[in-house]
Amino acid sequence: MEVILFYFCGALMVIAGAMMVLSRNAVVAACWLIFAFINAAGIYATLSAPFLAVLQVLVYAGAIMVLFLFVVMMLQGPVLAGERRRLRPWLWPFLLLPPLAILLTVAGFLRRADNTSFPVAAPAGFGSAEQVAGLLLSRYLLAFELISIVLIVAIIGSLALGKVDRRQPWK
Amino acid sequence: MEITLTHYLVLATLLFLTGMLGFIVRRNAIVMLMCIELMLCAANIVLAAFSRWHLDLGGHVFVLMSFAVAAAEAAIGLAILVEIYRRRRTVNVDELTTLME
Repeated sequence: MEVILFYFCGALMVIAGAMMVLSRNAVVAACWLIFAFINAAGIYATLSAPFLAVLQVLVYAGAIMVLFLFVVMMLQGPVLAGERRRLRPWLWPFLLLPPLAILLTVAGFLRRADNTSFPVAAPAGFGSAEQVAGLLLSRYLLAFELISIVLIVAIIGSLALGKVDRRQPWK
Repeated sequence: MEITLTHYLVLATLLFLTGMLGFIVRRNAIVMLMCIELMLCAANIVLAAFSRWHLDLGGHVFVLMSFAVAAAEAAIGLAILVEIYRRRRTVNVDELTTLME
């Protein structure tokens, strides 16, 4: 069951990611990304991380992507105009260098790892909201508080950036 | 047939490479932000997979932190893009080559 779910969601996620990069239209790209994030929730489910799976759908596919779609549709005209200038042809071979470096790094790690199979069964309740919250509010309490400051700074920053200056006419 | 850590690492690598190549090739700033989100998602999958491997929930906590950082990054990035669009009427990074108007 887990095997089927992993291959199904994994394949769909890679396809959706590729389609996002390849689609000219930004709205279509955002929709493919939402699809990829929903499949990521399935991947989390196979990792016995139900809480993360729920949050992936709620936060990523829900909140963040709605924000993206909202902005794309607000700036619709030029965003949909597409990108006529492509990368120069002589630059294409250089595109292969960073992927090659990353692939070699991962392959090197996997060659050195002798046993990569998971422990047979996760203990009961592993990854449930109760256990993650217990850890979040005890050992990682400082990080939890700091992340709230990050969010508040982000809220204030985006408010300050988005404020329209009434003295200057809308150009 | 068994799903091992290797499967998850390969999947996350593919996703990360997709996001990275998209970030390099695409010229639309909003789609570039989406590619960053895809790369963050790949990193989250690796964190969750290692968390399962070690049977330690610390990885899950850090995925939560990563969610919060991704949300903050998307909000700030999109606010900057809206402001740039107001001034320059474009979000194509090829045309945004100067800091001044």
